[in-house]
Amino acid sequence: MTNIPLWLIPLFPLLGTIILGAIAVTSSGNKKGAPENLIGALAVILPAISFACVTVLAVNMPASGFRETICNWIDIPLLKVNIGFQFDALSRIMLLFVTGIGTLITLYSIGYMHGDRGFTRFFAYINLFLFSMIVLVLSDNLLLTFLGWEGVGLCSYLLIGFWNKDLKNCKAANKAFIVNRVGDIGFLLGMLSLVTLGGAGVLNYDMLNHFISMLIAGGHVELIMPMLTITCVLFFVGCTGKSAQIPLLTWLPDAMAGPTPVSALIHAATMVTSGVYLVARLSNLFVICPDVLNIILVVGALTAFWAAFAGLFQNDIKKVLAYSTISQLGYMFMAAGASAFDASIFHVFTHAFFKASLFLGAGAVIHALGGEQDMRNMGGLIKKTPVTACVMIFAFLAIIGFPGFAGFWSKDLILERIFTDCNWVITGSWLAPVVPMNKIFYVVGLFTAVITAVYMGRLIIMTFFGSYRGSKENEAHIHEAPAVMLIPMIVLTFGSIFAGYLWADYMGVRVFADSLAPVLAAAQSFDPARSLNPDILLSEFIPRAAEHVNPIIFAALGTLAAVVGMFIAWKGWMHAHIPAAKGSSAPEGYAAGWTFMWDYVHGFFVKVVNVAAWICEKVVDAFLQAFQWTLGSIATILGDGATVFQVRKVRLQLGLSILGIVALVVVVLLTGGLV
Amino acid sequence: MLLHLLVLAPFAVALLMVVNSKEDYKAATRMAILFGLLFLGMSVALIASGNTATTPVEWFKIPGCKGPSYYYLYSHGLGAWMVFLSCGLSLVSLISARGILGANYRNFAIGIFALMGAMNGTFLAADAVLFFFFFEAMVIPAAILIASFGGEKRKQAAMTFAIYTLVGSAPMMVALWYLLTIADNSLLVSLAVAIQSVPESTQLALLMSFLIAFIVKTPIFPFHGWQAITYSEASAPLSAILTGAMSKAGVFGFIAWVLPIFPFNMQEVSTMVWLGLASAVYGAFMALRATDGKKLLAFSSMSHLGIAVAGVFSLSEAMLPAVLVLLVAHGISAGVQYYLIGVAERMTGTRNIDEMGGLAHKNPAFSFLFGAAGVMALAVPGTAGFIGEFSVLLSLWDLSAVCAGIMGFVMILSAAYVLRFIQKVIFGNPAREYTEGKRAGHLEGFAYGVMLVLLLVFGFHPSFITNSLNLNEEEVAEQVAEEPAAEAPAEEVVEEEEVEEDVEPLESHIVSSADIAKLDSSLTQAGFSEEERKELIKQVIETEANMAKATAYAAEKQQREEEEARIRDAANKGYEEFDVPMESQDESAVKNEEASND
Repeated sequence: MTNIPLWLIPLFPLLGTIILGAIAVTSSGNKKGAPENLIGALAVILPAISFACVTVLAVNMPASGFRETICNWIDIPLLKVNIGFQFDALSRIMLLFVTGIGTLITLYSIGYMHGDRGFTRFFAYINLFLFSMIVLVLSDNLLLTFLGWEGVGLCSYLLIGFWNKDLKNCKAANKAFIVNRVGDIGFLLGMLSLVTLGGAGVLNYDMLNHFISMLIAGGHVELIMPMLTITCVLFFVGCTGKSAQIPLLTWLPDAMAGPTPVSALIHAATMVTSGVYLVARLSNLFVICPDVLNIILVVGALTAFWAAFAGLFQNDIKKVLAYSTISQLGYMFMAAGASAFDASIFHVFTHAFFKASLFLGAGAVIHALGGEQDMRNMGGLIKKTPVTACVMIFAFLAIIGFPGFAGFWSKDLILERIFTDCNWVITGSWLAPVVPMNKIFYVVGLFTAVITAVYMGRLIIMTFFGSYRGSKENEAHIHEAPAVMLIPMIVLTFGSIFAGYLWADYMGVRVFADSLAPVLAAAQSFDPARSLNPDILLSEFIPRAAEHVNPIIFAALGTLAAVVGMFIAWKGWMHAHIPAAKGSSAPEGYAAGWTFMWDYVHGFFVKVVNVAAWICEKVVDAFLQAFQWTLGSIATILGDGATVFQVRKVRLQLGLSILGIVALVVVVLLTGGLV
Repeated sequence: MLLHLLVLAPFAVALLMVVNSKEDYKAATRMAILFGLLFLGMSVALIASGNTATTPVEWFKIPGCKGPSYYYLYSHGLGAWMVFLSCGLSLVSLISARGILGANYRNFAIGIFALMGAMNGTFLAADAVLFFFFFEAMVIPAAILIASFGGEKRKQAAMTFAIYTLVGSAPMMVALWYLLTIADNSLLVSLAVAIQSVPESTQLALLMSFLIAFIVKTPIFPFHGWQAITYSEASAPLSAILTGAMSKAGVFGFIAWVLPIFPFNMQEVSTMVWLGLASAVYGAFMALRATDGKKLLAFSSMSHLGIAVAGVFSLSEAMLPAVLVLLVAHGISAGVQYYLIGVAERMTGTRNIDEMGGLAHKNPAFSFLFGAAGVMALAVPGTAGFIGEFSVLLSLWDLSAVCAGIMGFVMILSAAYVLRFIQKVIFGNPAREYTEGKRAGHLEGFAYGVMLVLLLVFGFHPSFITNSLNLNEEEVAEQVAEEPAAEAPAEEVVEEEEVEEDVEPLESHIVSSADIAKLDSSLTQAGFSEEERKELIKQVIETEANMAKATAYAAEKQQREEEEARIRDAANKGYEEFDVPMESQDESAVKNEEASND
């Protein structure tokens, strides 16, 4: 059974896109639209077949993985790229949860999108998204990954602006695409500088790893260090765009304008983690530029902390989850920055389950309340929608890292690995002669964990506990979601409880780590302090020491953080009087200042571009036009002046004609005759 | 035969269209579309047949010139693809104007066929005079079509267009005439030889005259004054041809005429790159502000073609295929966007995008096409635009990272204006009440769909386009390899020597003896060892000597005027074989210069 061709995996969602797209376009004319059962079945079965293929391949995969070159793609001088797929340990994990969770969320969407006018179109987009995402993680070279990378961005754009009658949604979609484009340009330029370093061949991941090992073996790293650093920074810019890190993160909260299943699938579980995937995929490249890893670490920590705080101020249930996603992505990048790539992928994996459950739960709540998203108008829903409440509470326990749940294993692992693996130090500062950065980042991570527990606790309390604060007529209609929505939620909840046990260090289970080892082990064992000349690096490193801290301490501190956070949330909101919402759910005052900090920064750049465009139109172009028309007018005036010769005076005209003929003859004679 | 047909038959068909009665426009429609299909088929056959040329026929002799001009057509990958664009877009224009113009359709078709013939001639001409003839001839049917089928200010637009572009190419005419007075004939090779014998200041003046013509045609900032009003006032099917095929004549001129004829120095090259980038940025900014949908597309075209020109003058190894893919992609995507905005204009009765909106709900099929066309214009990977932009970006990155950064900025801006465009036209609620005009018919929609599919096909398999260039190179290589084996008559031997000289001076002419001292000192500064420096300077002096030899040959040549007629015939053959290498030689000349400057 191992001979399933790899191209079958992306093929099925692609087929789905084409079939559903064709149905959507042809049935757009009639009022009723295509039958929902048929469309829904088609939309779920095709990704499900992909999932089945992935599972079969995953079980039978040899340690080195499968590789397949389909055909040639681009063949011009300087740039020869093939379309090829690579199924190895890293893509296996990613594919499993992308297709698996993708199928589940598609199933959920059948219930959620019931009765929508764009039902078919929605599933065509979802299938296109799955196709792009599969290509992103399955491709064997950077350029094809970029195809998936922009493809998912495009689907994200289409799905955020799905309800395109409301211009607010369209604006959010445009913003998402444009901000992502900024990151994508980073990715593109990164590829170019990589091509400059090693030729178009190194766009292939295997060739790239080979190239890097040759560089290290030949001692050439020092020579091209500046270029390497630029390359890595550019790639990381790409990641900040797609994975919503500082400074390119403003699009993700706005992206919540899309349907909730989309938020769950694209803006929580899969697409936004592709930046983390890319860093892990290029881990061999990143580890030889430890300066860039430090940048990633700092950016990740800042993002995690900032977004967690912003999550505290949100009233919209989806916005809370959006900021929480950004914060969790910050954690993943922190892990990657500490060169703990397997831990970051592990968090990607567990996060996909619990964040998808949270979003689907939120979707069920919104569905039950007829579109209400403001938490100030909720409350007490645990009695009305018990299953949804249970799902969300379990996922909540997972995200705050409560012992035994998925998030506990992955988040604690990240914090532990930051502490043990990060060997960046700053010497000679005013603070102390030697500042070990690992401790600082550990503390930041732990403190963020406390805030995480606070804002998530606030969400759960405001939604499910207390008494209902919404309007009376809505209250009568509150109902539990249909089975087609509940089943995926429950499956995902199982995931958010048990996914962590794939890598439970305290219990001696390391399945996850061992399966990733063939891809990531080499990069993770790279010690910059030992292998690189310190003179070429901007930051200082100490050799990695086998410093033994009892892992139980990390677990205890992590648990403490979760419990403290929950306690604060309980104290703060359980019995507090929450005024019902009036008007917008956007935060106000200092909360707005914090939440929209980066929007202001972006706004500045947008302003600059707009002013430049204004100058172009009103000054430069106006001047050019004026100049051009002035010339034209002068010609016209001269022409008018010349008409005085066109008077009816036969003698004058005859004289002028003769003069002209003489002139012509003279010219012809002077230039040497006609022929 | 194919070449003759593609250039001359459109004019014949234009005449033939006259036999259709004005009343029975359906017959005219059928006939026009059938002929359009035929031409499209021929253009595909032309691409498939690789390098072909007709036998040169002596055409006429311009007074004061040394040699005659020829009617001589020649197809290479670049020209063939441009012909494909011109035929394809003409066909779609004929389809999309179907049933709209009513009794005027016949006249429209006549104009389109005449324009098509002129464009094909421009892209296939191997003789400079012939090229110039068609280059100017394009303006006339275009201007007439604008003036008869355009919007409210169509007369003004037609005048602006005609006068601006004709005045723009007037200096080229003078420069061409001047070159012809010193060249043996008006073929590319002879011109390239002739330019070597004029002083550097004159060379610069000639170069400027040629550049201006193509800069205006493309158009490149700051000579774009005619473009926005022309494209917006012309009827949408015509705008599609103007931007998709005719504006390519500018870029084509840079690649096929300016680069092979003129020796460039680094400063001129970088000026052109910066001009290209400036118009890319400028066009993007203007597109951001535009409220007229067609003006927006006009500026977006300017932006894309600016990038193409910057790519051409990056002179990297990948330049030709990169720019070719970019041009084809832009031709198709800009074309389809124009057709679609034309349909939108028809339905809503306005070009102002602020007054549109809500079409996604009113007409989902149209909106699907519109959205897809917009997204494909964004160079999303998987579409032909991406291949073109990425490879041009690669060429620019080779030149300098700053240039690539600017192009990246333009790509961000393009996302901004295209998404704004899509949003304003199809999303939201209708901005005002209106009675809906005629929707797109099935055939029309099908044609647009095919164009979009083509973009995808070229996006996943650009070899369709790029291979047509490789094919030529291989063929030329084969021919060159076969050449020494063939028994050559005496005249041809002389000719071959000449051709070699034509090529070599190109490499060396830039290095004047005054530069050698400078070169020496800069080499010393750059830390070259004594030996390396001597070696390099020796090379330079050697090429100097070659150049002197070439001038001597040129003097000798003047004495043998009787022999020239025979030599000329041989030159035609030589041209065929050396056209493509000429270009690459020219590039390498610039690269050498670059290297020695370093």
